[in-house]
Amino acid sequence: MGKIRVLIAKPGLDGHDRGALVIAQALRDHGMEVIYTGLRQSPVQIAQAAIQEDVDVIGLSSLSGAHKTLFPKVIKSLKERNASDIPVVGGGVIPAEDIPYLLEEGVQKIFTSGSSTEALAAYIKQLVHPKEEKLKPPEKIAHIGIAVRGIDQVLSFYTDTLGLELESVETVESEGVKTAFLKIGESRIELLEPLDSDSPIQHFLNKKGEGIHHIALEEDKLDKRLQRIISEGIPLINEEPKQGAHDSQIAFIHPKAANGVLFELCQHPEGSEQ
Amino acid sequence: MSDHAFPSNKESWESAVDRTLKRFPERKASFTTSSDLEIDRLYHPEENEAYEEKLGYPGEYPYTRGIQPTMYRSRLWTMRQYAGFGSASETNKRFRYLLEEGQTGLSVAFDLPTQIGYDSDDIMAEGEVGKVGVAIDSLHDMEQLLDEIPLDKVSTSMTINAPASVLLCMYLAVGEKQGVPLEELTGTIQNDILKEYIARGTYIYPPKPSMRLITNIFEYCQQYVPKFNTISISGYHIREAGSTAVQEVAFTLANGMAYVDAALEAGLDIDTFAPRLAFFFNAHNHFFEEVAKFRAARRIWARIMKEHYQAKSEKSWKLRFHTQTGGSTLTAQQPDNNVVRVTMQALAAVLGGTQSLHTNSRDEALSLPTEESARIALRTQQIIANESGVADTADPLGGSFYVESLTDRIEEEVNKYLDQIHEIGGAVKAVEEGFMQREIQRTAYETQKKIENEEEIIVGLNQYKLDEEVNPDLLKVDEALEASQIKSLETTRKERDQDAVDRALKALREQTKDSSVNLIPYILQAVKVYATVGEICHVLRDEFGEYTGM
Repeated sequence: MGKIRVLIAKPGLDGHDRGALVIAQALRDHGMEVIYTGLRQSPVQIAQAAIQEDVDVIGLSSLSGAHKTLFPKVIKSLKERNASDIPVVGGGVIPAEDIPYLLEEGVQKIFTSGSSTEALAAYIKQLVHPKEEKLKPPEKIAHIGIAVRGIDQVLSFYTDTLGLELESVETVESEGVKTAFLKIGESRIELLEPLDSDSPIQHFLNKKGEGIHHIALEEDKLDKRLQRIISEGIPLINEEPKQGAHDSQIAFIHPKAANGVLFELCQHPEGSEQ
Repeated sequence: MSDHAFPSNKESWESAVDRTLKRFPERKASFTTSSDLEIDRLYHPEENEAYEEKLGYPGEYPYTRGIQPTMYRSRLWTMRQYAGFGSASETNKRFRYLLEEGQTGLSVAFDLPTQIGYDSDDIMAEGEVGKVGVAIDSLHDMEQLLDEIPLDKVSTSMTINAPASVLLCMYLAVGEKQGVPLEELTGTIQNDILKEYIARGTYIYPPKPSMRLITNIFEYCQQYVPKFNTISISGYHIREAGSTAVQEVAFTLANGMAYVDAALEAGLDIDTFAPRLAFFFNAHNHFFEEVAKFRAARRIWARIMKEHYQAKSEKSWKLRFHTQTGGSTLTAQQPDNNVVRVTMQALAAVLGGTQSLHTNSRDEALSLPTEESARIALRTQQIIANESGVADTADPLGGSFYVESLTDRIEEEVNKYLDQIHEIGGAVKAVEEGFMQREIQRTAYETQKKIENEEEIIVGLNQYKLDEEVNPDLLKVDEALEASQIKSLETTRKERDQDAVDRALKALREQTKDSSVNLIPYILQAVKVYATVGEICHVLRDEFGEYTGM
């Protein structure tokens, strides 16, 4: 993937370009190619320059109060040249009350006085390469884990009383656990029975008795999610994915991150039903 | 003025004090502290050569301690708030309000189309009319702007550069209509084109013809409007663009030298134009560095004028300056905190010996100031002047080990830059090569990084933040103003004597071709028959060309 190309432009007659120049330098330091138009550019000139330079994003700066006239004109000029796909962000001295109007007119985001150049660079990267940076939130609850002393003793409640379908029973020696999966819609209920007294499930039963043990969320990019969680400083039980039931990759988030609820993140191989 | 021997000594200061007191008696019969301790006019060491050479007495060369013998004990600085927005009549109302509130001089902000020589109906003016200042298209607007303001009593500062000649002529024409003789008009035009190329951006023509217009103004005013300050050589915008205090002084004084060179080259006599040169500095956050900066600037300029240019008149040696508190130090976050910043910056300017002062309003990181914010800003100066006691003795920080050492260090660093610019071939050349621009941009970027790494703490911005910001009431410029301004311009065009306008513009065009002609009388004639700012500047654009940046 090539470098992100950014056009930094000063529409109108405003001569204050300290902000524009600082931002141009900061984005260069973030590995982007930055073209600065110089002062006094008309909206049409800016649109033409953006197309000619084949940029990925346009940054407009105005401190003279003309933003409500000029920013929408840049967007209009892009549209007239079939270049609406070039996103426009803006900054400068822009009162908060003008921001909704500018967003409605098609400006992607306004960075006002005091915004950090780091935040701007991160935003532009995300805007230009959304797939790379943006993580989809988990789309469903993969299963709810319930700790039980013996699967055989409780199974009939699920299969007979509720009439759920028993999908599989599996022993995971490494975790010291025997599991039973019951299908419910697109999710499962997982019954967990300790294999021995060292099993984590046994510890749970000793401490809290039988009941809901964890909630598992289906992730589409477990590695990326774990990186994100680590970068945000949220505690994990497993910083690397490990093998779970049904060929899945799993990792647990520490319950202190979520008010005592234990969350499991799991990713199933593509094409598998779960 | 006497032609006494140097270095200055206490007797010559004392006799200067006597002369000053006759014209400007002190504000009080005696100055005392709360404990009834008498405050002296000046505190100074036993006489010694080093003291006299580096500091001297106030009003005496090299003016480190101020340019008047009694400083603020006689007269306080001029409180001059920059204002202007929307239409001429709205701004006129704000001016009259400020004068009633005790402001002592006017300062006009023009909108960008006026500053860049476009009429309000020009395509380039779209969206900008009346936004950052008042829109002036023709003499008609200027008449409204100054309506019922007695120009024989009020001095007016106009922040205008590339079209300074046009706006000055409009001011002179209004003065004439009020019946005030030209020689009694007082005020200042910014008229500093070099810093426009460096930092502020409202240039029109290339440097050479721009310098001609400036020397034309020097020459004309020297003859007909002798009390007018013909230029305000500005470090303010250089600092706002991100420079350090040293760069601010160095680049400003380098520009000053370029104007002196241009005027000398045009055949003007140094001691007739140099006393009308004024300066304009920023008052930023680092309190002691700012105080030292003002003191150093005075000393360096005095030495340049006396030693380098061999000016003979004491008036030519004195660096007189206006100060504005640093706009870029204000935060949009927790805007009331800005009142505190402005107070400290204003105090630094006063302790540095400023001649006039603009204090910024708390909401200027968000928009133009509301009337309430503008009043608090003016009150800030009045509190410093009347309640703090800092104006009761000359140069109260003089002699502080720290301040004197900073003053010396700044002088040293400024001189290094001046040498460097001299080697490049002077300020005009350095501007054309982008030397100052690069130096400023480097510092601006470093500052931004320091703020983001929290090496520099800005209260409310990167520390001590609030989760929820309260949105203050902001001044809104009426969006319908652009249309009504254009309509009024059309009426003016309809009602004026078009033949007279055509003749005046034609004469101006012809005279531009001969670079030895002073253009001011021709511009004045065009202004009087209601030719517009745009029309006059277009003639000059045609003839001079336009500057397009680096």
